[in-house]
Amino acid sequence: MIDINKQAWDLMVAHAEKTFPNECCGAMLGTIDGDVKSVTKAVAIENSYTGEQGARYELRPEDLLEADRQARANGMDLIGIFHSHPDCDAYFSKTDLENSCPWYSFVVLSIKSGKFDHANSFLPNADQTAADKEDLTWPKS
Amino acid sequence: MAKVLIPTPLRQFADKKDSVELDGATVAEVMTALTAQFPTLRKQLFTDEGKLRSFVNVYLNDEDIRYLQKDATAVKAGDTLSIVPSIAGGAQ
Ligand SMILES: [Zn+2]
Repeated sequence: MIDINKQAWDLMVAHAEKTFPNECCGAMLGTIDGDVKSVTKAVAIENSYTGEQGARYELRPEDLLEADRQARANGMDLIGIFHSHPDCDAYFSKTDLENSCPWYSFVVLSIKSGKFDHANSFLPNADQTAADKEDLTWPKS
Repeated sequence: MAKVLIPTPLRQFADKKDSVELDGATVAEVMTALTAQFPTLRKQLFTDEGKLRSFVNVYLNDEDIRYLQKDATAVKAGDTLSIVPSIAGGAQ
């Protein structure tokens, strides 16, 4: 399961709402203890998709490398990636699956009319053919 | 010796190490040394045909090896190799 603390969650939601009606993306850093992933820091990353960003996002590998360096420098791990679905539910789409990586948790935030609605986390497989839903908790306030 | 940084989710296949020091004159040699030392890591990074998986990028220090000499890129002592995935997506 993956748990996101308040500081990280607030940044993720703020970044997703600010980027609406486009998709946003970013990295989640924290620690892993057995089956429990704890996200304590979120990093907003620029959506580098070169077309219409209302329903697409892309992370530059250099930006992800930088997030990984930040994690290592702070004794943390890169745990996952987040992105938003403007005016769509938080499912894992075919596009998401085909451009995923099996190593990380993928948190999708549904933003409806500019406001956070709900979120889900997914674990894609190595062949990019299926993604399991992962238990996700965040501070409800 | 060059240093290969192991991404968190792959450390379970590399004796829980976050980095490994390996010999090799090129990126291909270092990657071969890495997967020889940790055979279960191989499946995570390479296809059955021995090609790097489509989402796997290798960086030599700050450069994507795709824009250098790919596998044949020379590696010097003290260089750092990073394994970074390509990630994208979208609601539709
Ligand atoms: Zn998506």
